[in-house]
Amino acid sequence: MVGDTPILEADSLYHIYESRAEDGNVVALRGLQISIKEGEAVAVVGPSGSGKSTLLKCLGGLMKPSAGMVRIGGENLTRLTGKELVEVRQRMVSFIFQEGNLLPHLSALDNVAQPLRHQRIPPKEAKNRASELLTKLGLGARMNARPALLSGGEQQRTAIARALITKPRLILADEPTGALDPITSREVLALFSSLHEVDNVSFLLVTHNREVADICGRSLELRDGRFVAQHGAQLDVSDLGDSRELIVDDLGTVTFPPDILIEMGGAGRYSVDDLSKGRLVLSSVEKTESLVEGGQMVLTSICPACKHEYGDEGAQQCPSCGSSRPMISS
Amino acid sequence: MKAFDRIIDSLRIASISSWRTKERGLAIVAGVFLASLVVTTVLAYGNGLSQAFLAGGIEADVIDAKVDMKRPPGDNVTGRTNDSIQWASVCDDLLSDESLSVSDCDLVYGRQGIRVTGFFDENFIRPQPLNVESIEGITSDWENVSFDYPEQLESGPPINGQRSVRILGESSWDGEFSNRYQAEILYGEWPTPDRALNSRAVVLPNQVASQAGVSENETIDRLDFSYVSDYSALPAEIDPESCSGEIRTGVNGFQYCRETITLLNLTVVGIYADQPPANPALQFNHIFITGTVLTEEQNLTLMQNDHAYLALAIDRSKLPSSSTSAAADWLDDIENNVEGKNYTTANIEVDYYDLISGTLTFLNIYLGFVQIFDYIIMVPIIALSLSVLAYGMLLSLEQRRREISIERVIGATSETLQRMVLLEILVMSSAAWLAGYLLALASVPLILNAVGFMEFEKLDQLDVSVSLSVFSTIILFIIVVGIAAQFGRSRTRSFLEMEIDEGVKKVVIKEGGRRWLQYLIFFIGLLALIEAYIETTDPIWDEDDDGLVSNFILNGLLFIFGPFLLWIGGALVLGRLGSLGPKIAQIIFGRTPLLKDVRRGLQRSGSAESVNRLAIIMILTLSIVTLAAVQGETGTLVDERTASAQVGSDLQVQFTDSVNKSVAEQRLRDAIFAVGEDKDMSIGSTTVPTILTNIDGKASNIPTWVLLDSHKEVMIWDNQAVPNQDQEAAFEGWKTTSFTAGESAAITLELSREVGRGKAVSNDDDQIQTLTYDEDNFVAIPVDQQQIDLLSSFAQGISALDLSPNYSGKDLSNTDTWAGFNFSGSNLFDTNLSGSNFTNTSLVGAVIGFGLSDAQPNLFGLDLSGANLTGIGIADFNQLNPFISSNLLSGVNFTNSNLSGAWGFFDLNQSTLSNTTCPDGTNSDQSGCASGPAPAMLWPQEIVLAMQPLEFKIETTTRNATVEFMGQHRWVPGLDNSEAQTSLVIGESVWRQLVGTDVANNLTATKWFFDVGALASKDDGSVLKRLSSQISTQSNISSVSDWKTSHEDVERNGGLIFGTPGLLTLQFVVASLAAVASAFVFLTLVLTQRRKELAILQAIGASPNQVMRLVLFEILSIVIFSMFLGSLLGVGISYAFNGFFGIFGFIFQLFGGNSTPISREILFPWIRLSLVYLAVLTTVIMALLVTTRQALKADLAVTLKGE
Repeated sequence: MVGDTPILEADSLYHIYESRAEDGNVVALRGLQISIKEGEAVAVVGPSGSGKSTLLKCLGGLMKPSAGMVRIGGENLTRLTGKELVEVRQRMVSFIFQEGNLLPHLSALDNVAQPLRHQRIPPKEAKNRASELLTKLGLGARMNARPALLSGGEQQRTAIARALITKPRLILADEPTGALDPITSREVLALFSSLHEVDNVSFLLVTHNREVADICGRSLELRDGRFVAQHGAQLDVSDLGDSRELIVDDLGTVTFPPDILIEMGGAGRYSVDDLSKGRLVLSSVEKTESLVEGGQMVLTSICPACKHEYGDEGAQQCPSCGSSRPMISS
Repeated sequence: MKAFDRIIDSLRIASISSWRTKERGLAIVAGVFLASLVVTTVLAYGNGLSQAFLAGGIEADVIDAKVDMKRPPGDNVTGRTNDSIQWASVCDDLLSDESLSVSDCDLVYGRQGIRVTGFFDENFIRPQPLNVESIEGITSDWENVSFDYPEQLESGPPINGQRSVRILGESSWDGEFSNRYQAEILYGEWPTPDRALNSRAVVLPNQVASQAGVSENETIDRLDFSYVSDYSALPAEIDPESCSGEIRTGVNGFQYCRETITLLNLTVVGIYADQPPANPALQFNHIFITGTVLTEEQNLTLMQNDHAYLALAIDRSKLPSSSTSAAADWLDDIENNVEGKNYTTANIEVDYYDLISGTLTFLNIYLGFVQIFDYIIMVPIIALSLSVLAYGMLLSLEQRRREISIERVIGATSETLQRMVLLEILVMSSAAWLAGYLLALASVPLILNAVGFMEFEKLDQLDVSVSLSVFSTIILFIIVVGIAAQFGRSRTRSFLEMEIDEGVKKVVIKEGGRRWLQYLIFFIGLLALIEAYIETTDPIWDEDDDGLVSNFILNGLLFIFGPFLLWIGGALVLGRLGSLGPKIAQIIFGRTPLLKDVRRGLQRSGSAESVNRLAIIMILTLSIVTLAAVQGETGTLVDERTASAQVGSDLQVQFTDSVNKSVAEQRLRDAIFAVGEDKDMSIGSTTVPTILTNIDGKASNIPTWVLLDSHKEVMIWDNQAVPNQDQEAAFEGWKTTSFTAGESAAITLELSREVGRGKAVSNDDDQIQTLTYDEDNFVAIPVDQQQIDLLSSFAQGISALDLSPNYSGKDLSNTDTWAGFNFSGSNLFDTNLSGSNFTNTSLVGAVIGFGLSDAQPNLFGLDLSGANLTGIGIADFNQLNPFISSNLLSGVNFTNSNLSGAWGFFDLNQSTLSNTTCPDGTNSDQSGCASGPAPAMLWPQEIVLAMQPLEFKIETTTRNATVEFMGQHRWVPGLDNSEAQTSLVIGESVWRQLVGTDVANNLTATKWFFDVGALASKDDGSVLKRLSSQISTQSNISSVSDWKTSHEDVERNGGLIFGTPGLLTLQFVVASLAAVASAFVFLTLVLTQRRKELAILQAIGASPNQVMRLVLFEILSIVIFSMFLGSLLGVGISYAFNGFFGIFGFIFQLFGGNSTPISREILFPWIRLSLVYLAVLTTVIMALLVTTRQALKADLAVTLKGE
């Protein structure tokens, strides 16, 4: 059940990594805006380096954005001090990562109970709750094993249990099935959707996986630190172009994904030919010779990482290895 | 309850974490363990040291405190009693009071009540002990025994110079007192109360027993002792009418009336070892007698004359041994409690005189210095363990970067994280602390018993049980674990801040590390090193001998702090150099096939901070290892050399009479036989005769020591003692015609302007000298034969020619050297002999005391004790002169002299006679010869004739020898160090030329050096010690010293100090362990950190072999380079610390009064050091192989994927 109140809101989110290197500072998030309603599941897709991890950290309150506002359950994170921030996180948010990221020296049970310990919940109660939850997730027999002795799926389920133990209202997950084989990954996803449906937990999932995106109502396409487009439920991760809805934000900024840009004929001046409510038509004012002659920028035909041949596909991401498709001069 | 659960749970998690992640905790554990070990050792060592000092200080007398009645006896005196039952009840009161810690109490008769506290109060020196007057026993030679005991005057204020008696009550024969007395018993046993009562027990000190030849169970027929019944402060004198005993003048400005008590029929039940002087309040080495032999009346008499007191034994185990001042406070409390106590017997008031605390005051100061010294030399090792800890902490935190970010993600605040990390550190460091603490306590007794560097003796030698109070233990825990926690806290905090801000990837601007400060520190340290080096080696160009810094205070500061600065600064500066190891090695090996293929992989290495830390730690530890080994070995050797210089050989014996070689050796053989060894074993002996010689007429009569050829085998020489530090060359020189001179002799004789240590001079012609020796012979000028005949007919059996050596009119006064001299038949007319010592001199047939000329003979204070005066002519001209009445022999000491057949006019009534053989052959009594003087002779005309001064002359034979100056000696083993400076040393052949063969062949001497071969080291030297004490019981011995005792003495008080070799040993062992451990720990950590780097190398196609070679080469070059730099720095600080040791050595010598001529010459124990280096290197290679293999085996993908 998707409610009306937003559980997570971010507005004009900027994040800049300072660097003394020659190429200067790196802008990871540029004025990004997002809003997730209670009980909603949202996927974020986008090529590597588009700022997904930074976004997740900023939204989850693990990192302070350089500028902008993040609001979880009505609390403005950017205004909070470190300790208050942690308290909000403890109450509202949990994280799940690609690998379990379990504490290697503690048993599954202790790992799951650990967040409760941080919340100063008495150890007995914490343990009871943890073992209850682990049993519920089918790990009852394995809860005294250390992570090294658990299989990948078991590890991930433990990590999920650890995320759930605090009864969060929002789960931020970074490629939660990335390290799992398809079957295990399906199990984990089933767990996710049941959580989503039964417990009404909100999800923000960063993923490359279509199946993952499928459990979400909508997917946001992140490029160069900005949401450029939104996709519906039936997302084709290999060809974002099909389901794409471009996003125009409050500032009036619109970012064209590279494939659209190429189809449009590249960067240049465009005149607004038709402008009415809900409609915008752009036409190129002059054809830039240099773009044509000096080697037009086109999408590469062979994936540089795995040598996959794209052929005529308009895919933005390599279907076989998932790396993003760079542009080269033709 | 919940909070408790939470604590338990946190502890459980912390324990699990620290156990499961022990690799990364290893550095912390190692650091805390080392810190705990070292700090506890230093503290416990201080505790053990004061225990040892206290034990040595307080166990000299069995009595710990003397309790007198507050007021002396007298009419109408309140607060005291003369009833022994009431005294006993006071004892019971004291014993039953737990708070007083009195473990035994006894009513004893001995020294009178003291009632003041200061040593220099006249009321302190006035109270007298009971003195032995005489002992008789048919079975023993009691007439041999002297009850004079002047040692008591020498070791304290002038109280009493006689052997004293202590009469013991019942409690002394059982319980604590009995145990304490029994501990000193040599022969027989300390009797039980029954035995004491039944046998009328007497226990004698060994000296008395051996003089008397008494053994246990022998009977004493009669023992007289005297008590003081009255006294008067001089000049007021006691009225002879009121004294029924004897009035005697004491040495302390008082006159005493002493009355005698006689005891009959006693049994010697035990003989105890003589004890060293203890607190002067009580005399020492008493004759102990059981009180049951006294009658009621005698009891009361002693009581009424204030000779009774209560002897207390304090429970010494309760004496706080943490410091001497704590002990003093504790004793003060007892004093106040005893004096302030209400006793069962009403109105008793007591005065408590503590016998321990006086000893404590001196110990306090000395101990303070010792401890400061020890603490200072332990500073480097403490600093070392702390730096291992700090670096370990840093590395271990870096290892948990991933874990910390996980914890943060699941909701940990930075406080919880800090708490968690801290708790883990606490758990680990508590375990490490406990291990270090226990090990330290166990090792301290061992350290205190160390006799040299890495050498230990049997533990029974010094019984120290080290335990620290709960308080000190807690303090220790807080210090060590607190330091660890504090380090952990600050490191964790800065690390977490860094981690949490990581999102904003700020480029952290590293601080320059204040390099200029490091260089400055290093520079000052270097200055100290150069200064110390200059002052030890004393180069020629340093003309004023004060090095670079001449200001005394600056110099001292430089010596004390410089070494530390050198160490720290050196490690920091050289550490940077050490981490450049790979680069330097690359230049050397870069083009060889060894590295050709992996060269590029090395380009970037050596820059990482962790590598720099590894280099610093290696340099820090290895330089300490070097320092400890070098100073330890040097100190040990200096102690041995000092002992050798003091004793000169295995044994040095000073006889009372001058004996020749075979007699001396025979006496030694007797002693060897007596201690149960083979008396026919081969022994070596030598002596150093002294003559006066003259060089080229430059100065007259320089004392010249003669090294007989046998000196080479017998005396223990030292290279430092001889010119050029070359023994063989020096021996060869002395054997031929060369001589050496002490420093001031060389200056006086202008032999060489060069001063300093044993420097040789150039071999130019100036150094050929003529040594002249004048042999004086007294030759009579022929006189009228008739006179001679007359004289000889008169002087029974003495030929007039015997009167040839004529010393008449000479001044022979106040000389000691005449002792043992042969004056037989000499003419000592009109000679001033006052104050001279003719002890054991033969004056057979000599004539003394005739005074015909104007010059009156002066015999005042002449000591003729033990002299053989058979047939001596003694006459007093003044006796013939009716106008002058004086007694020429008044005050002359004839103790043990033989005057049989002496002739002349003399009066012995005012002379000291004791065991003197009177002129008529009978034995004297105290007051004079019972038979009176020899029959006064008439004064025949003939004698008057003979009394005309006979003429004699001194005929001098001068002999010369051509000698060559070889250089300066610094000392001669076994001979006085300062005399050596003013003396020449020649060899036997030159001496034979000078004194002639007759004299040389009939050489006799009083001081002999012995070499006893293997016996010297048998049973760790205990045989030598027994032999030495056996010799000292022989009759004609003046003093004995043996190498072993002297060495122990030097170790305890001399060259360096108590336990320092042990501390240096500890430092060496700990630093070696630290070197090996930190090499391992740091390598493991460094390599784990670089695991990813290695995986990348493999991923891009490096073979395992190449990776292995790369790592081995890189780390090994750092380690080897650091080892080299570390040993270099170690050598440097060893030299620098030498100045520091010198300063403290000087202070200890001031206290111990034990100066040593040995200069601390640095000695390098390369073998020991190489072993440590080898161990470090092996560990490093092992660690490298293990970790690299692990890194190579690990799943590449996993390694690369993980953070």
